[in-house]
Amino acid sequence: MRTGLFLLLAALMPGPALAANQVALDNHVFVERVSTDAEGKQRILLEEPKVVVPGDRLVFVLNYRNAGAQPADKFVVTNPMPAAVRFADAGDTRPFVSVDGGKQWGLLADLSVPMADGTRRAAQPADVTHIRWAFQTPIPVGGTGKLMFRGVVK
Amino acid sequence: MMMIAPVGGAKHRLLPSCSIVALLAALALPMQADAAGTRAGSTISNTATASFDAGGGATTIDSNRVDLLVDELLDVTVDSSNPADVPTTPGATGQVLTFSVTNNGNGVEAFALTTIANAGGDDYDPAVTQIYLDNGDGLFDSSTDALYTPGANDPSFDPDESVTVFVLATTPGSAADGNRGIISLAAAAKTGTGDPGDSFAGQGEGGGDAVVGSTGADGQDAGAFLVSAATVTLVKSAVVTNSLSTADPIPGATITYTIVATVAGSGSVNGLAITDDIPADTSYVPGSITLGGSVLSDAADADAGNYNGTRINVALGTVAGGQTRTVTFRTTID
Repeated sequence: MRTGLFLLLAALMPGPALAANQVALDNHVFVERVSTDAEGKQRILLEEPKVVVPGDRLVFVLNYRNAGAQPADKFVVTNPMPAAVRFADAGDTRPFVSVDGGKQWGLLADLSVPMADGTRRAAQPADVTHIRWAFQTPIPVGGTGKLMFRGVVK
Repeated sequence: MMMIAPVGGAKHRLLPSCSIVALLAALALPMQADAAGTRAGSTISNTATASFDAGGGATTIDSNRVDLLVDELLDVTVDSSNPADVPTTPGATGQVLTFSVTNNGNGVEAFALTTIANAGGDDYDPAVTQIYLDNGDGLFDSSTDALYTPGANDPSFDPDESVTVFVLATTPGSAADGNRGIISLAAAAKTGTGDPGDSFAGQGEGGGDAVVGSTGADGQDAGAFLVSAATVTLVKSAVVTNSLSTADPIPGATITYTIVATVAGSGSVNGLAITDDIPADTSYVPGSITLGGSVLSDAADADAGNYNGTRINVALGTVAGGQTRTVTFRTTID
């Protein structure tokens, strides 16, 4: 119960004010623009867009930094997929994902989705509703890192 | 600088605190997604959360929020709805090809329609007379479907929706059996067309830009007519017999006329009839009309033949290409 109370308070409080001097989480979204040069070579450019169109490939980058005076233990980063974005991959960052709105979590390969006929099928990237990275070791003071995943505008 | 590779494990499998925040964020997001894509003008928002314990208990923070406006994508496809070439005949008018125009973009868009009948690759150019927009039943009816006038009633419809378009054409009289005539219907987004990625600032639905999609914002597809014609050749011959057992056309001699009708071509001939006047100075031999070896009566009745006092007539009806009909009758020389 005590843990539950703490968590509720954390959710109600304005996060940045509480944590401004501890851990920062910085969110950037880039769009992969493919251009073909004069020699026919394809180049992928990452641009920070204000506008996108269906089919655009987006790269979501989350930079974290422990600016506090204490190591940050049980560090977990969660990103709900925007409804208009279909999850593609998370590079080699091996996140947990949820395919049911955040109720259950696991590696994508371990999850399944119920079918209308009562059976279950293996979960696909397009089923992902949430992404989560759970760190097994504390982030030391001054520690930084980067998490990323890709998605496609539906 | 350090990177700690997060590894999935039982230790952090259940983390209810994050779920609460994550679900709240999810509820605030736009929830529109269909085959044509996220509706133009909607906003994609992304926020991540982090939880950790820096010694003072579990703490949750939000990242900054990134908002992306979804622009209008201009995409259209045209598909011929005729699974095979549509049969036609030389000189025929009001010949119909059916097309489907689909808005593959993510906003309401109007499309201008044009036809191309002289692009080559066929044997003749059908003459396009009208374009009609279907009233929704999928069947062409000039009294209920709307005659299309470019610029006046360009069809405008929602993402993922289609309209059926009828193209009416006349087949030139010079078209020959087996000839193909192709008509392409083209649809172009009224906002603009171009190379994929070209954009029209501020012209997108919802205030964003309109961006040309992979189709170039125009599409076209071809339908074809196939001329299915038939020609009739009549060959008439006569054999004279007389009481002298010679072939001399003396008074009292009998002339047996044979008319062979040969139909050629891939089509068929409707309402084919053979009529022949009885020559002067000869008399028709009553009951002498035969069709394919069977005797026909002289009366205008249920069978195909009759004699009206001046000519014989045999109605052959519809005869397909490759078939022949043989009619005979006899006269005597007066």
